[in-house]
Amino acid sequence: MMKIFGDYIRKRREELRTLDREFSVRKVAARLGVQPSYLSKIERGEQAPPTEAKIRALAEILGEDTDVLLALAGKVSSDLQEVIVRRPQLFAQLIRQLKDMPDHAVLKVVREVRDGSW
Amino acid sequence: MIELKNDSLVFSFPEVHPKARLRIDFQRTLRIPDDGRDHFLPPGLGNFPIRHVDDFNGRVPYDWIEHGGVMLPMHQAEAMWLNFDSGYIPEHETSYPFAVKIAAGKIDAVTGENWTNGLHGLPQDYMVVPEQPWLDGFCIEKGTIRQFVAMPLGEGYTAEEQISGKAEHGGLQIIVYPMKREVFERRFPKVERKRDRMEHMTMSKMIMPCMADMDADMGLAPGGRMKQEICEDPYGYEDWDRKTRSRCFVHLANSIMWRAITGEAPPTIPPTARQYTSAGLPWYDYYDADAVALEGSEILDDLKSVIQMGYEKGEYPLPENEPARPKRVIRLRKGLERNQVREGSF
Repeated sequence: MMKIFGDYIRKRREELRTLDREFSVRKVAARLGVQPSYLSKIERGEQAPPTEAKIRALAEILGEDTDVLLALAGKVSSDLQEVIVRRPQLFAQLIRQLKDMPDHAVLKVVREVRDGSW
Repeated sequence: MIELKNDSLVFSFPEVHPKARLRIDFQRTLRIPDDGRDHFLPPGLGNFPIRHVDDFNGRVPYDWIEHGGVMLPMHQAEAMWLNFDSGYIPEHETSYPFAVKIAAGKIDAVTGENWTNGLHGLPQDYMVVPEQPWLDGFCIEKGTIRQFVAMPLGEGYTAEEQISGKAEHGGLQIIVYPMKREVFERRFPKVERKRDRMEHMTMSKMIMPCMADMDADMGLAPGGRMKQEICEDPYGYEDWDRKTRSRCFVHLANSIMWRAITGEAPPTIPPTARQYTSAGLPWYDYYDADAVALEGSEILDDLKSVIQMGYEKGEYPLPENEPARPKRVIRLRKGLERNQVREGSF
């Protein structure tokens, strides 16, 4: 989990750095309020992912989806935790039922406007 | 993917960029006089109510189910404009750009050509959002459009019938393409967030209270002339992610049909242009110094307006077409003023 999270954010940060020097380890760490060595260790998978607040800040800096980064870090955002805690059995059952379904089937849970033939 | 939220269509492309979201809503408005003069922009009188056609399977025509998409009610006495809002991304100090194609009865509202799913640069058959904040009609010449007004399909007035000779499709068709992510990040690199940044204001709208015709569906016909530029693509054809797109068919139901299908009352009939103007309410003018306007379409310029067509047919389709001379015109400049709105109440 640590390695997957680290690899993902390093790849994304490096992509951005080719466009803008503001995305060096040092600069991103400064904006995140951590030491560069700490961020570097996270990227190498030598350090566990940071707190939810730091992951949220990192998602903002890198232009990434917060839920994706939290999931890669093995975390569930606090607002989702609250939702689950309110009806734990229902949501546990729902997630287990959805776990093997393909993306298009899961997306049907979010109601889309259907495109047809025209 | 496209979701229906609060009577707006929300196009999102999370596979391209988490902030790639475009909201399109359909604003009710009054018909501007179809008198050969160029008019200012009319107000937004609130969103048309929108429903999934799938929710009314068995009560809507079969081809609506085949097309998928959504439906909305329109009175023959009213008109429509489309409001585009792709939100503001503070860290990039811009909105995510989209290429948007709009057609009425599968006739492209910018070029007058038949509908295709693809984007075309020459001639440009799409608009660019956020540069284009709204669209009120068919682009007939540089800086001038003819207002989208509702007419029953099958009577020969719609743009589709005038160009193709058939009353086949009706409705509105929309397809949206996002800018490529790498192009977006190169053109709009992240900036350090400043405090007290001026809040982004959308060219918004308001809600006004709500009304009612029978035959099958409606189409959009060219109404009165209005000052509106369709902006040239300021980026480049290659900047659009042409592999990623979402499209939607918007069916137009007349008021009686709407009530029969949904059981809901349609919104009330809007005021006439003269009533609105006499009440001292404002019209609008939009100014974007940086925008270059497209030339307009000769095909669309050849269309007959509803009044012109009515005279030829010996009919009088718009009994309330009195001229209106606005006393108040509010000029809106792109991106400079807070609380830029285009809204009216009556």
